[in-house]
Amino acid sequence: MKCVRCLLQLQSLRLLGQSTRCSAQYSSLLPSASSQPGLPHSTQQQVSRSFHSSSACSKSRPVPTDFLKDQDGKKDKSLVVQKDLFEEVAKDIKTKATFNKVVEVFTKRDVRRRGHVEFIYAALKKMPEFGVERDITVYNKLLDVFPKEVFVPRNFIQRMFNHYPRQQECGVQVLEQMENYGITPNVETKVLLVQIFGDRSHPMKKYQRIMYWFPRFKHTNPFPVPRQLPEDPVDLARFSLTRIANDLDAKVTVYQVPFTDVSESGEDITCPHIVGIQSPSQMELLAQHNPSRPVFVEGPFPLWLRNTCVYYYVLRADPTPEEKKEEPYDPERCFDYPLQLDIDLERDLGDDEEFDVEDLDEGPVYAMCMSGQGDQATLNQWISGLQQTNPILGQVPTLFRLDSGPRDLQGPAETESGPRHQTDTETHNQSREEVQDEEAEEPRRTQGMKQ
Amino acid sequence: MSLPNITRLPHLRLLSSIHHQQLLLPFIPPLSVPRRTVIQGNYRRPGQPKDDRLPWEKINFNFSKGLEGIKKQFTLLKKEFTDRWVGPEGKPILDHMLEQNQVVWEFRGPESLEQWTVSSDSEIGGQSEVYLKIGKNNNTCLLYGTLSSTPPKDGETRYSGYCTMRSKQPLASFDRKKHFDWSNFNTLHLRVRGDGRPWMINITAATYFSHHRDDMYSYFLYTRGGPYWQDVKIPFSKFFLTHRGRIQDNQHPLWLDKINNIGFTLGDKVDGPFQLEIDYIGVCKDYAHTEEFAYELYQGKQSS
Repeated sequence: MKCVRCLLQLQSLRLLGQSTRCSAQYSSLLPSASSQPGLPHSTQQQVSRSFHSSSACSKSRPVPTDFLKDQDGKKDKSLVVQKDLFEEVAKDIKTKATFNKVVEVFTKRDVRRRGHVEFIYAALKKMPEFGVERDITVYNKLLDVFPKEVFVPRNFIQRMFNHYPRQQECGVQVLEQMENYGITPNVETKVLLVQIFGDRSHPMKKYQRIMYWFPRFKHTNPFPVPRQLPEDPVDLARFSLTRIANDLDAKVTVYQVPFTDVSESGEDITCPHIVGIQSPSQMELLAQHNPSRPVFVEGPFPLWLRNTCVYYYVLRADPTPEEKKEEPYDPERCFDYPLQLDIDLERDLGDDEEFDVEDLDEGPVYAMCMSGQGDQATLNQWISGLQQTNPILGQVPTLFRLDSGPRDLQGPAETESGPRHQTDTETHNQSREEVQDEEAEEPRRTQGMKQ
Repeated sequence: MSLPNITRLPHLRLLSSIHHQQLLLPFIPPLSVPRRTVIQGNYRRPGQPKDDRLPWEKINFNFSKGLEGIKKQFTLLKKEFTDRWVGPEGKPILDHMLEQNQVVWEFRGPESLEQWTVSSDSEIGGQSEVYLKIGKNNNTCLLYGTLSSTPPKDGETRYSGYCTMRSKQPLASFDRKKHFDWSNFNTLHLRVRGDGRPWMINITAATYFSHHRDDMYSYFLYTRGGPYWQDVKIPFSKFFLTHRGRIQDNQHPLWLDKINNIGFTLGDKVDGPFQLEIDYIGVCKDYAHTEEFAYELYQGKQSS
């Protein structure tokens, strides 16, 4: 609170300086204006107050000729003057610096900031183009375009009615765009809003709402994703695999680092990255797998990390029909505490916490991987890499159930009219492919062994 | 001399305008007042074709449909009568009183999808698509589609891009509205599998005043992604009041005695395909959770 007051004082000091500067500017301009007859004496006073005057007053006041010349030079009677300003000043380099420059050019062009509402709307629309939509300083700079203290209601009637509604709407729009991009306003924003619209105005209310709700929902996500994802595909794969594995013991293995090589015939060979993850419990499950039943490599499945979509592949088996025998815990596995307790914990009748639903058994997941390429050869490399730690994979037939690739993932959504027929044909195709795969599998596997 | 001239000119203009009007009259419908003001209809978006059918033309007078309706309503009525003999809501009284958790919606077979409706922003002219189907093993529901946040070019829509799945309001016999009574429970329990996108859960409760019709209680559903299922427990105290997509200043805890429906909305402004698998939706009683409402209920200084 104290810092707010301090800032307010500072700002007001700066404003005072501005207004004196303005009046100085005006007084220097006055000789040119005073040559016109019938200049009312009261303008002197108006000038010292600079922005306090109403628009009607400023219309009646004789405009200094220098400004008129400037206006005539720049203004052509089109409706999209503000957009043109952006195109003019920042022709091809669209950065934060040029954006700030445009705002500065606008603020310096006219003391009265005529057309600032249109300018701010245009600027808001242009912000994503310049890549500054997540920059709090730019938003504050945009709010700074509003003239200060003009729109603050000065008596109860003005406060009762919507004072300067268009300007307030524009201010709310600036705040709403901040809200949409998830930018929390800071103290400077608050000071600016108080100066421009006063406390109790609509933009101020919007600010208060944002400041109430944003901190509440800031850390609600239990699986947070950083704003800046790692650029390196291996790092990205490592991050996303640890996210979906949901096991702190899971170990990430990089089976292949991406590199480009030139072969003997002069062709470029690009080797995609292969990153896999497997936890000890998954290894245990895989070790218990019945070797007569096949395991499947399925994918690609999408995973969204904020704006980027990555694809992963899964090594899994079909659900086993029965044979769910509970292995008795080896009592010598842990001497410190018992791993199994036979205590009836039901406290009261009807005290069951379990939901009355059938468990769905989708089969165990043995490992996951992400790769630069989704073709079978690449994934086979992953399987052969897995084989070093899971020797059982040498005996188990591995089948590939791969979809046509990330690009065609949207395909089935559109052809929804005959889902049954489609799935039928798909399974037929799959089974055929699987048979072929199985035949082709063994030699490749032996290659993998040799490596 | 000049005076008649002046007076004559407007007369002429007036006459000509009347004449013009008469020429046009056959083309203009006689009702000059917009129809929407006469008959209180729904708001029609720009570009949407007019529905000029008369009220009775919209009703399907089909005999077989009528028979089906009678059959359905009377079976419902019979069920209502017989359920009373067993206990409240068709369960024995002891089960009802000692109930710790309840599965409200589960997906077993295609007929369970009839309790749900899906919609997307294609209703307001957007380009998102959403579909609902039963999952691979016939035990889950799969909500999938594509999200596209390009707003329609109708000149007044600023934002677009949402996909929604919403349960239908339960109906008793003869289409009387029924509500869920979850006042015994304090936590929503879901078993879902998503693709890493954040969703929003919306719960609507029965309201008395018509201007509360669009009130919804919402909270976020964050999905982890990956091949594993995810058990999500959300206390009802965390749901906050929204009205037509805007969060409200005066918050109010959700009253659980008359719940109409639940919905899932995706609108994270990321264009692309999405999917969400739901195993079941249930409510449970969490004794460790004692919070009444997660947000402040004090009345702030009312600003004018």
